[in-house]
Amino acid sequence: MKLYIKSLKLHLKSMLEYKASFIISFLSQILVFFSYYFIILALFDKFDNIKGFTLYEVLLCFSIIQFGYAFCETFARGVDQFDNLIIRGDFDRLLLRPKPLILQVLCSDADYIKLSRLIQAIIVMVIALLKLNISWNLLKVFTLIFMILSSIVIFFGIFLLAASYCFITVQGLEVRNVFTDGGKHMAQYPIGIFKKGIVYFFTFVIPYAFVNYYPLLYFIGKENNLIYAFSPLLTFIYLIPCFLIFKLGLKRYSSVGS
Amino acid sequence: MSFIEVNNISKTFKVQKRSGGLKNAIKAFFKREYKYVNAVQNVSFKVKKGEIVGYIGPNGAGKSTTIKMLSGILTPTSGKIKVDGFIPYEQREKYVRNIGVVFGQRSQLWWDIPAMDSFELLKDIYDIPDEVYEENKNSLIRKLNLEEIVNVPVRQLSLGQRMRCEIAASLLHSPKILFLDEPTIGLDATSKKIVRDFIKKLNNEKKITVILTTHDMSDIEALAKRIILIGKGKVLYDGSLKKLKNLYDNNKYITISTKYKINIKHKGIISKEKVHDGYKFIIDSKLINISDFLSKVSKSAEIDDVEIENENIDNIIVKLYEEYEI
Repeated sequence: MKLYIKSLKLHLKSMLEYKASFIISFLSQILVFFSYYFIILALFDKFDNIKGFTLYEVLLCFSIIQFGYAFCETFARGVDQFDNLIIRGDFDRLLLRPKPLILQVLCSDADYIKLSRLIQAIIVMVIALLKLNISWNLLKVFTLIFMILSSIVIFFGIFLLAASYCFITVQGLEVRNVFTDGGKHMAQYPIGIFKKGIVYFFTFVIPYAFVNYYPLLYFIGKENNLIYAFSPLLTFIYLIPCFLIFKLGLKRYSSVGS
Repeated sequence: MSFIEVNNISKTFKVQKRSGGLKNAIKAFFKREYKYVNAVQNVSFKVKKGEIVGYIGPNGAGKSTTIKMLSGILTPTSGKIKVDGFIPYEQREKYVRNIGVVFGQRSQLWWDIPAMDSFELLKDIYDIPDEVYEENKNSLIRKLNLEEIVNVPVRQLSLGQRMRCEIAASLLHSPKILFLDEPTIGLDATSKKIVRDFIKKLNNEKKITVILTTHDMSDIEALAKRIILIGKGKVLYDGSLKKLKNLYDNNKYITISTKYKINIKHKGIISKEKVHDGYKFIIDSKLINISDFLSKVSKSAEIDDVEIENENIDNIIVKLYEEYEI
């Protein structure tokens, strides 16, 4: 952990070497984010609700997914950009260091530009929470925390999966975008508004639904079953196969080479 | 038991067959054909503690693959490696604490920040105790003349300066073995000398074992008493540099300065070339020894000056490569 924090500091130092570029990128990220945001606003300008979900419910959903994604893009950039490590051959260097590889991959990169998205996600989340009439109780506080954590966990898991894929081939990374960008765009909305097949896919294949659909139902009072409140924790189980697949890929790498 | 034992290792890579043209590229996209390449075949050698070994061979001979297996990055397809009691590719995390690796073509330093920051991070990566770290850091900075460059962002350093920082970075954790993969590539004469002298000193003082790959034969001459020559994945020669030189050392290059004309014919004179103030001969000293040759020459001409050179090590290597058809 100390190592990770130290490398985060060094990444910040590296990034601040290029101040102008940092500021411009930071600002442009804000614009990108707002374009997503305005699409939702525009949509609700026409319709009061989508299948029973109001604007602020959707925004909450949206901000939680954005938060997890931005968090992982900032602090787990090394896993996100794993293909670069392999292509540049820097991964060999990591193999020469006496520390667990996943930790080292995490330490290898951090992208503070994406912090701008993280901050905006928090702002949207706060607005949504204030506008929603939620009958707060302790469990709901926990549910919200679970949702945010599971959002981080799920993107980390998906990044890991995509990284494992790099061990096999460094090309054709579009596959991962089906899971990250594609999945993310859908999961920004309460998944229940989609067709059954999609709901199942996001429940059992990539468990986005456990991040911000099932718990959301409990959170906004559409469901009272407590299982819904704790459902985000299921995403932690999802991490296990992700780690295992990464380990498997690693083994393959050392026997196949680059 | 030797310090490093490499026992009959082989490494086979599966590579995709590629051929030119868009048509073939599209075909390859749907149906890939693979071929197997034996990068390293049945390589065995032993290295004693404190030795400096030059590992040489032409491009693509399998040098880097061997180094990667020795350092635990790759697992051999068959055979066994044991270094200081460790099996590198199986006990990676424990093993790598004992080794330092410098890749001449790749940097381990952070590009945008001073080398000192990279050092600090390495301290944590290797869990180096404070006092050991301070001592190693200070002595490396002193010996490699880094005082003025460790606090400059690495991207602003010259190649020679950077290489010195790279070497320092790989020695902070006091490794027992140092792997140097082309450490002097692209360096100017002064930087090369600094690097070589430093490695020599390090080997003398700390008995650190050094495995060195290079294409620069003067590196080998300056550092390694023993060389292992590898070509097409196989060990072709393993022994002292001196012996190798003696094998091919019959050829002498003799430059004679004279105002007179020299006409000399004898078995063993391989070539004669007129240069501006005399002649340049190449002779085979097995067939005619140098003093005989010189006395013959002095009979027909007055010699102003004489210069005798041994076969250049680069030429020996070229000959060796030719002989083994690699």
